[in-house]
Amino acid sequence: MTDLSIHAPDPSQRLWRRLRSEYFASPLGSILTLVCVAILGLLIWWVLDWTLFRATFEADARAAECRANGGACWAVIANRWRLIMFGIYPYDEQWRSALACVIVIATVVLSCLPRMWGIIRLAAIWLFAALAFYILMKGGALGLSRVSEEQWGGLALTLFLFVSTVVIGMPLAVMLALMRRSEMPVIARVTGLFIDAIRSLPLLAILFTFAVVLPFVLPAMLTGEKLYRVIVGLAIFFAAYQAEIIRGGLQGTASGQEEAAKALGIPYRYRISRIVLPQAFRLALPATINQIVITFMETSLVVVVGFVELLAAGNAAYNTGEWKFAYVEVYVFISAIYFTFVFGLSRYGAYLERRMNVGRR
Amino acid sequence: MSNRQAPAIEITGLNKFYGSFHALRDINLTVSRGEKVVVCGPSGSGKSTMIRCINQLEEHDAGTIRVLGTALDDSVGSIDEIRREVGMVFQHFNLFPHMTVMENCTLAPMLVRKTPRAEAEATAMRFLEKVRIPDQAEKFPGQLSGGQQQRVAIARALCMKPEILLFDEPTSALDPEMIAEVLDVMSSLATEGMTMICVTHEMGFARKVADRVIFMDRGEIVEEAAPDAFFSNPRNERTRRFLSQVLGH
Amino acid sequence: MGFVGLFCATLLGLVIGLARSSKNAPARLLGTIYIEIFCNIPLIVQLFFWYAVVTQLPNPRNAIQIGHVMLTGRGLHFPGLNVTVLSAVVAIAIMIAALFVILWIAVARRFGRVESARRRLLSLGVLVTGILGAAVALSWGRIPETPLVSLPELRGLNIRGGFQLRPEIYALAFAITVYGAAYIGEIVRGGFKSVGRGQVEAAQALGLSPWRVFSRVRMPLAVRAMLPILINQYVWLIKATTLGIAVGFSDFFMVIAGSITHSGQTLELIGILMAGFLIINFSLAAVLNRVNRAIALKGKQIGVAQ
Repeated sequence: MTDLSIHAPDPSQRLWRRLRSEYFASPLGSILTLVCVAILGLLIWWVLDWTLFRATFEADARAAECRANGGACWAVIANRWRLIMFGIYPYDEQWRSALACVIVIATVVLSCLPRMWGIIRLAAIWLFAALAFYILMKGGALGLSRVSEEQWGGLALTLFLFVSTVVIGMPLAVMLALMRRSEMPVIARVTGLFIDAIRSLPLLAILFTFAVVLPFVLPAMLTGEKLYRVIVGLAIFFAAYQAEIIRGGLQGTASGQEEAAKALGIPYRYRISRIVLPQAFRLALPATINQIVITFMETSLVVVVGFVELLAAGNAAYNTGEWKFAYVEVYVFISAIYFTFVFGLSRYGAYLERRMNVGRR
Repeated sequence: MSNRQAPAIEITGLNKFYGSFHALRDINLTVSRGEKVVVCGPSGSGKSTMIRCINQLEEHDAGTIRVLGTALDDSVGSIDEIRREVGMVFQHFNLFPHMTVMENCTLAPMLVRKTPRAEAEATAMRFLEKVRIPDQAEKFPGQLSGGQQQRVAIARALCMKPEILLFDEPTSALDPEMIAEVLDVMSSLATEGMTMICVTHEMGFARKVADRVIFMDRGEIVEEAAPDAFFSNPRNERTRRFLSQVLGH
Repeated sequence: MGFVGLFCATLLGLVIGLARSSKNAPARLLGTIYIEIFCNIPLIVQLFFWYAVVTQLPNPRNAIQIGHVMLTGRGLHFPGLNVTVLSAVVAIAIMIAALFVILWIAVARRFGRVESARRRLLSLGVLVTGILGAAVALSWGRIPETPLVSLPELRGLNIRGGFQLRPEIYALAFAITVYGAAYIGEIVRGGFKSVGRGQVEAAQALGLSPWRVFSRVRMPLAVRAMLPILINQYVWLIKATTLGIAVGFSDFFMVIAGSITHSGQTLELIGILMAGFLIINFSLAAVLNRVNRAIALKGKQIGVAQ
């Protein structure tokens, strides 16, 4: 009706309003803002100061110099990074370990790209990666010297544990989930008991059992290397939790779909693989990513059964006499590595979720 | 504190933007005490936005709103005072699920008006009887049907003894057989003299109850008239089109 | 001890979660930073870190001292009571029971109709009874010929007397508090996020002040939404605590070296441990689930729309 020249409030006005409502809404709010900003400022200054400004970066600096500078003593990393990354892998062959790590990371990154999503393609690259990893680390072929599993360590070991657990555990989880909803009550109930039992036990106990107890209980033939026993333990633990997550996804999928598929005469294996599972996975995706992230963090538990993975390597790195004071720097370094992986995985999970949700509805 | 002589609601030059989208364009509206106003219009026309500005659930960008003589500005004190005198009934009921019906109704009077519990409960029962569900007083909202929940919501708003009642599409979320019971309650409220502004698609209700019908489209008030004139002789082309869509099927 | 850690974690987590959900942007940022950092680093790493911090504290000669409390690399020493362990346990149990009763009085529907003044009187009565009971238990268990309170003091190379907490214990408590708070904070945030905007608007429309809207509507609904997930988290944290104790008391690095010398005994030990865990797990979950059902929203959730 009227033709007033009213414009949208200009951005500066809106910014001011937003500032007011978000930062200074009331006296209490204003105080809170100031306090938080002060804390933030102090934190940032303190962190920067310690890690950069007053830090010692030269590799041959020692305790006295570090203390004089007052900041972080990154020399410890410069000196001990090999230990942290590769454990007690023989010095000359560490390039193999490094290469193996790179291959694993590259494979994981590749699998995350939507373009590589096809069962055949995924299976192929994972198989190749597994083979390459094994050959590189173990040696004994292609002119590479042999390095037994006991010497595998550091970040490489952590990655290996993580990847093997997920690769073995995931199909196992799917199997368990399907068995639990089987129409034969015996199978369903036994599987249910098994899953619940595993989920009630702490991971440490399971690792212990597999690593230490099993050799006494099983005949020597069935007992493999400690590393592989531990991986089996980790995989079973992962599978139990993941099976429940998948079950949740299955329950959320409308049962009418499966009935329609049955009515059309589609056989079981296609019903499951083409119709039910894809939808279940879509629903279960956030929880699955969460579980995978947790698994990565749990690999650090194997330190208790005697593996020199990332955490133990870090402990060893600073526990020698001259570096004993530099534990903070080492832990920060290790934490940064964990953080990168874990945070990266979580962010990727969020991206996946968004992607999946765009397709539905 | 409310000025007895002032009109219930006075809106002048109201403008609101969502980002750069001009949601309300220069709205001018005066509602006298005891008047029943029905606002209708296509979705996205800004009707809900307008009444939500009246109790400041939405903030306006330009113009003044005077409720019961008091101008609405940004000070927190004035907003809470106004909200005591202006009740609102929502499209999705918005009852508090963790409290019984009785608790839903007595919460605000006890906390805001400092009414003693016994008196608040007596008032609540009175209004629950008026909306015809006194026997559900100890139930939880989740145990009631949609129509019952909306009637509880009306009772809850009434327990604050407001001077003005705002209705934001109160029957749009209800199954058809429950709409009638809610509209009955609203009609009886109207006959008792409550000042009401009602956003709704229920034209029968408008014809029966309203003193004035307002048609909004694209953020502005296109036409307002008494219900007879409005429905039989709409002046504006847009109004005519809307009415034929809503009434003609 | 585990419960202390849990308690602190809950408190801290509440604060962090609230910060993260608040309208105040800097508070949100602080909360987010905290949560992201401590959620993404494994508990074990954090645990080892705190342990390292705690053991590298000065030796008894140069102990840090505040009043009668001394802190060294070997432990935390503070004044203790010379009573038998049994009486101490009984006293603590009485106090905890009293606290539970008070909580129950405050929350249960049974007392909803009772005047708050009378309820407060009742709670006070319970509290006094509890304190008296605990005092009785303690005095009954007094070790004869020793002063009631024993103070820690430096004698030679070590600190004797008083009550000593080994560093593993409070390193663990610290780690659990910090780590748990991060996860609890996230759960708290989720809880608040799930409260429908409509309910908040209805409360505002009724004229309730912002504080009332928070305490009467947002908070109760958020708590009900959080509880199942919170229960899971608590169970997990308690499991982690008990594990930490087991590992800690046998010294972190001793277990590593495969120090299994008596194979038979170990098997039984593990069997007992596993059985114990199953029992603790199930009973804890059962108790907490009952609580959940008691305060859950009744009826089908129709009409609770966004």
